[in-house]
Amino acid sequence: MNPAPFLLIAVVALLLAFALGGQSARGWLAGLLTGGGGLATAALGVLLDGSPWDWHARFALGGETVHLRLDAVSAMFLLLIAVIGAAGGVYSLTYWGNDEHPRSAGTGRRWWSALVLCMALVVNCTNGLHFLIAWELFALAAYPLVTLDRKNREARAAGWLYLAASHAGTLVLFVFFGALAAKTGSWELGDLRSRPEVAPLFWLAMFGFGVKAGLFPLYIWLPSAHANAPSHVSAIMSGVAIKMGIYGIVRFGGWLPVNTTQALSLIGLATLGTVLGIAFAHAQNDLKRLLAYCSVENVGIILIGVGAALLGQANGHPDWGRLALAGALLHVWNHGLFKSLLFLGSGSVLHATGTREMTQLGGLWRKMPWTASLFAFGSAAISALPPLNGFVSEWLIYQGLFRLGLSHAAGTWAALVAGIGLAVAGALALACFVKLCGVVFLGAPRTPVAAHAHECGTGMRRPMLVLAGVCLAVGLLPVLVRTPLEHAVAAWCLAGDATAFALPLAPLARAHLALGAALVVGAILLFRRIRGGVVRRLTWDCGYAAPAARMQYTSGALAGWTISWFRWALWPVKKWHRLDTTLPRDAAWEERTPETVLERIVQPVARALCWLGVQTRRTQHGRLQLYILYLVLGLLALTFMALGGGMK
Amino acid sequence: MSENLNIFVGLAMGLNLVALGSSRLTSVIRAAAVQGVLLGVLPLLMEEFHWMILVVAVLTMLVKGGLIPSLLNRAVKSANIDRDLIPLVGYVPSLLLGATGTLAAVAVAQRLPLLPAHAHTLLVPGALASVFTGLVLLIGRVKAITQVCGYLILENGIYLFGLLLLHSTPLIVEGGILLDLTVAVFIIGIIVDRIRTEFDTLDTHKLNMLRE
Repeated sequence: MNPAPFLLIAVVALLLAFALGGQSARGWLAGLLTGGGGLATAALGVLLDGSPWDWHARFALGGETVHLRLDAVSAMFLLLIAVIGAAGGVYSLTYWGNDEHPRSAGTGRRWWSALVLCMALVVNCTNGLHFLIAWELFALAAYPLVTLDRKNREARAAGWLYLAASHAGTLVLFVFFGALAAKTGSWELGDLRSRPEVAPLFWLAMFGFGVKAGLFPLYIWLPSAHANAPSHVSAIMSGVAIKMGIYGIVRFGGWLPVNTTQALSLIGLATLGTVLGIAFAHAQNDLKRLLAYCSVENVGIILIGVGAALLGQANGHPDWGRLALAGALLHVWNHGLFKSLLFLGSGSVLHATGTREMTQLGGLWRKMPWTASLFAFGSAAISALPPLNGFVSEWLIYQGLFRLGLSHAAGTWAALVAGIGLAVAGALALACFVKLCGVVFLGAPRTPVAAHAHECGTGMRRPMLVLAGVCLAVGLLPVLVRTPLEHAVAAWCLAGDATAFALPLAPLARAHLALGAALVVGAILLFRRIRGGVVRRLTWDCGYAAPAARMQYTSGALAGWTISWFRWALWPVKKWHRLDTTLPRDAAWEERTPETVLERIVQPVARALCWLGVQTRRTQHGRLQLYILYLVLGLLALTFMALGGGMK
Repeated sequence: MSENLNIFVGLAMGLNLVALGSSRLTSVIRAAAVQGVLLGVLPLLMEEFHWMILVVAVLTMLVKGGLIPSLLNRAVKSANIDRDLIPLVGYVPSLLLGATGTLAAVAVAQRLPLLPAHAHTLLVPGALASVFTGLVLLIGRVKAITQVCGYLILENGIYLFGLLLLHSTPLIVEGGILLDLTVAVFIIGIIVDRIRTEFDTLDTHKLNMLRE
């Protein structure tokens, strides 16, 4: 099947949606859904068929012939863009509608379709120059969305931080693509594995794309942007936009000759990000910030898989890392699906209560059963519980890591370390989401706003149901994704013998189906037994005679032990007003985990640089005599250097 | 012959100190002018007589000893500049600095890999000392006119260096340098006048508004 007509339809429809977005919400939705459908059809065609689509235009842009290419790797990402773009778009009509946000709703719709279009462009561009253009457009299109709530100071600050971090990454990418073009003599991208002299450039790619992806120490923009953006924007940012960074790393990891050191560094940073990301997530009290940190963890999981594939390739055995790569690519999909589901769910909570603070919520399950159930479902999926989709991808990554670790080649011990890190992070993730669901949805409402919450409308519920349905389908029938994954891995390996590779998904599918059936039967039996004879009480009752909402475990209490384990990395700030006299007046205990990397490392360094800059500016005072003095001192220094060393 | 040469260069080095130590504008201008005339004589001493060298020498003396000082004096008169200098670095420290610089110039010159013909003359130390003096004047004095004088003395130093290459420098280059110098002083004279009418001061302290 030729995807070109579908892509053309999608581009036209998305451009129309961009034009119509300001006025007509219906017209916009029609354009967006058509565009999403076009992109999804094109992507599915390439994924099921396996043969790439390649198109050289007759015209040039910026002196370079336009060259688009859609192979199975980019189609994986394109499909995700289409699905989340459409689901989030439908959700936004109710969540950020004209009635509640008359000023910003139109802007939001417009830039939403622009963002979807630009991301689709990024995964299709096969010319360095056009890739950079698409990349920059994509970064810019996200900015108006992040700052859609312009009255909110924090949202504006988050937007600035996003722009600054994003451009720091783009700057490095400029160097990367420029150096690549200088070394190869052409802006055309493609397989360069036979040219070892371009290997060092992968460091630049790792940094530039890592900023966008949220690779461990570079994720500084991510928590505040995801927390302060409107929830449908957080969903696409976390579900899709950061995956563009992963796309870059996957793509250029496949094209460049990556060496063992680079693969090991990627695995190391990814493992660190996985464990610390979830530790930071555990320490958060802000619902969406918690989810944002959890994205850092999941990006780590994905990059562990990618790093394992690169390690196998650096050792000359690309087949060792294939399972891990397949797991990573599937996790890109899965994380996009369930993280978007969770962000849409948190948006529904925010819409109903007006707060993201978990300390103010509680007992929402009774008020919002749909949202709570879907959120719990997403939490189970993201905690990689079988029989859901998170387990499938992580299982593949584990398999890949073990296979790599048992091969006893250079550096493969790292695969075992990463496996242990992944296991630790998996346990912490489960604890983290137990805490989240317990504090927000169980127990008693902690404040009046939580007590008066209301269920979201069908316009917001339907997209969440669709996403949950896809999660369940991938979990129960992983064979569905087998062909696309095999094609994507084969496209990534290029020269590898793709025929010898088959994903061992059938046994997992059988196990998942059996487990799913058992769960359903168990649920029915349990429901029959308890029907009628249930007394409803507070969840954290503790046996008190008159339980109050204040007696419940707080989110800080549930996270306490994790924070104490990871004190060395989280650097929590404590305020403790002890009881110290016989008749104490009041006591207080407050623990807050700051944005450690941003506040303790990046900001002090930036402040020092600014101070240095201001000090340097003092030498620019306008006094001619002193300028001449600078010249004389420079000349004298040069003279002494010449007399001392050069004149031999 | 080398001794005559050294006497002239030594006199020029003494004039450097005069320029550094004097507190009157006119005497600094005069010191620079006399130095220019002294150095103008040097080519006649250094080489076999040739009409081209005579032309260079006479032109140098006329321009440096006559034209430029008269331009500067006119500027001083027309701009009604106060005859007192305003030093940033005081006269005695300037003198000490100049003396140290002169000694250092002699010391440094001995370490330079010079041609044997130039090794025992004061040409190179004199050149270095004049350049240094010019820079001290440029840095250590406030008024724009004094800076022109500093620039002239600096140029004299460079001219001394140029004498080392007298064989290989064509007349046209020498003439060009002289012309540049004259034009520069001419333009500075005009600018000084304009700045005064515009801002009512020539104190370069107060001319730092346009720094950015």
